[in-house]
Amino acid sequence: MRKNKAMIFWFSLPAVLSLLIMFVYPVCRTVLMSFFQVESVTATMSDWSFYGLGNYLKIFKSASFLTSMSNMLIIWFVGGIITLALAMLMAVTVTSGIRGKKFFRAVIYLPNIISAVALATMWIQYIFNYDYGLLNEIVKLFGGDKIKWLGTDLKFWAMTGSFIFGSVGYYMLIYISGIEGIPQDLYEAATIDGAGKVAQFTRITLPLLKGVIKTSITFWSINTTTFFLWTKMFSPIDTESSTIVPVIYLYDMVFGGKGITQRDAGAGAAVGVVLTLIIIAVYLVTEKLFKGSDLEY
Amino acid sequence: MKMKKLMALLLASVMVLGMLAGCSNNAGTPSQAPASNPPASQPADDNTDPAPAGKKYEGVELTMWSMWSSGEPQANVIEAAKAAFEEETGAKVTIEFKGRDVNKVLAASLEAQDNIDIIEDDYKRIGTVYNKFTYDLTEMAKAANYDSFSYKCFNDQSIAWAGYLNAIAEQPQIGGIFYDKDAFAKAEITAEPKTWTEFLDVCQKLKDAGIAPLAQDSAYCDFAFYHSLVRHLGEAKIEELNMNGGWSGTAAEQAAQDIIDLVNKGYFVDGAPDEFPSSENKIGFGQAAMIVCADYVTAEVNNQTGTQVNWGLFNYPAVDGGADNGAAYMGANSLAISSYSKNPQAAFDFIMFIVSGEYGQKLADEAHQIPADSRNTAPADLTGTIETLQAAVSPMTWCAGISANADLKDTIKSMCTELFEGKYADGAAFCAALDALYK
Repeated sequence: MRKNKAMIFWFSLPAVLSLLIMFVYPVCRTVLMSFFQVESVTATMSDWSFYGLGNYLKIFKSASFLTSMSNMLIIWFVGGIITLALAMLMAVTVTSGIRGKKFFRAVIYLPNIISAVALATMWIQYIFNYDYGLLNEIVKLFGGDKIKWLGTDLKFWAMTGSFIFGSVGYYMLIYISGIEGIPQDLYEAATIDGAGKVAQFTRITLPLLKGVIKTSITFWSINTTTFFLWTKMFSPIDTESSTIVPVIYLYDMVFGGKGITQRDAGAGAAVGVVLTLIIIAVYLVTEKLFKGSDLEY
Repeated sequence: MKMKKLMALLLASVMVLGMLAGCSNNAGTPSQAPASNPPASQPADDNTDPAPAGKKYEGVELTMWSMWSSGEPQANVIEAAKAAFEEETGAKVTIEFKGRDVNKVLAASLEAQDNIDIIEDDYKRIGTVYNKFTYDLTEMAKAANYDSFSYKCFNDQSIAWAGYLNAIAEQPQIGGIFYDKDAFAKAEITAEPKTWTEFLDVCQKLKDAGIAPLAQDSAYCDFAFYHSLVRHLGEAKIEELNMNGGWSGTAAEQAAQDIIDLVNKGYFVDGAPDEFPSSENKIGFGQAAMIVCADYVTAEVNNQTGTQVNWGLFNYPAVDGGADNGAAYMGANSLAISSYSKNPQAAFDFIMFIVSGEYGQKLADEAHQIPADSRNTAPADLTGTIETLQAAVSPMTWCAGISANADLKDTIKSMCTELFEGKYADGAAFCAALDALYK
């Protein structure tokens, strides 16, 4: 059938226009805004004053921003290792031919279908609660003293642990789909050659899952960079340094916080640009590290 | 072929038009009102074209963005007030219950001149953030004799921030130490403490009677410590130190030491500072007697624990040689009118409908709050608060002094929690840690 170029043009026009107006324009405006002093995010460009790299210098000198970056990096690195390792372990276990595979898969994925708000509330009120929380009940059972799981020392780890709990199932599903895509012949041949389960995992599963691992690392990086709701749930009244992450810093900077009436949309835009650059950097590094991982089998 | 091209063009045009229509701003709606329904932008007497029914605001449409969530007691009263106002005046009021985070979108929406006539938020934000987009209510307030039944402290503060009266208090708040009168009676405490020494004596008596003297949630540690700081330093000095450092060697050390003493003497309930609202609920469960907070804590605890605590209130105790021994937190969630509202008089009348008279009283009763109309009566637990607000001159802010340095605010807030956790050996160590933030 002959292509009708006019038809293609007119039918793609709405989508292209939508993309330009709703995606490209805000991105360009945000990048531009990060080089200007702007109080309000909706201020007209005539109210902007050029600030060069001032906004970037401001945020990198800010103790709160540096704390938020440090918190985010810990969630990304420590949380990432634990989440992806647990997800891999569970994916391998669930696909190893155990009984009740569907049941276990559903149970592990269950936290993902529960609203994160409900999940966080459950952790705060029923697991970490000082007086009647599950963890302190266990501690008391063993004769120990109750622990302040949500005190300044442990709050960050309590939040990270809850986040990991809510994330493992999602990555497990990604890994399961990757593992199920590996031909069974390879495992059968390896078994005949005398390879054990560990050898099969390290010599077959892991190498053939490189592409999936790369994708999951990118997804995890995006998830941790845009980490927001869990901080809001663990610091419900006002932002605290133990739970602050860059998006919360950005949010307070652009819209003001409790008791804060100053706003700085320019600095907020700079935070947004920095976060985007981080995601791009992580993507490029993983691309480099996992080069040639898109195997066909 | 030509027909096909025409069809393609038409289809694409319809899609683009549909998309643009979907994205259009409905702010223009009021201007499209029929000419026979002129907006009552002037006081009602100037409206020269009353509708046949003779109702004051027939044909007038108002839109309000509320900070409450649908179903909350405040929202229920506002809905009832809306129905009565519509019935009485013929106006059509649309209320959007946006919840507490309305403040995140209000500034941008007002800048974009969204279709909003009435906004609702903390009066400080109305006075300092939205002031460029708010209506001068001075003349309308004068005509309504608003001064005679409102609180001067809030009106003066609104004028000081915005340059004119731009906020009408809807939910006045007062802070201090809220306590369970029954717990005091059990500990045979007959008088509310006025000085720090008397306060320590009260704490000891409560402890001896088997009741934890103080509850404290981590979310309000900064607010509680701020009281101590204000007593010893005054708000202006706190803000100066907050911006530039130099806490060591000042009375801030004693302010911190006072809190450390409370911790060391075991005056806080087990688990404090706890995750909100676990600790404050312990007053409802009869495990703790006092808490430093604003008056809404009374309704929170009653609702959350299903009890009716016999509440009392006294101001934070005076300290020896204190810089500001009389300060007390006072604030208000307030209502304001957008500067571009086409119906400011109707909007003002609706605001008066909510905050005063019958619905003002309902708001006080059902939301368990201090009435915005001083002619109304406060709930029994809040007896005396109207008189306190009427007598107030300069309200203490909500931690403005230690929030002024936006860059350190979060860190200082966490340090305040650590102070209540007993992490600092003494006041000097706490202040040294504060000063280290400025290096």
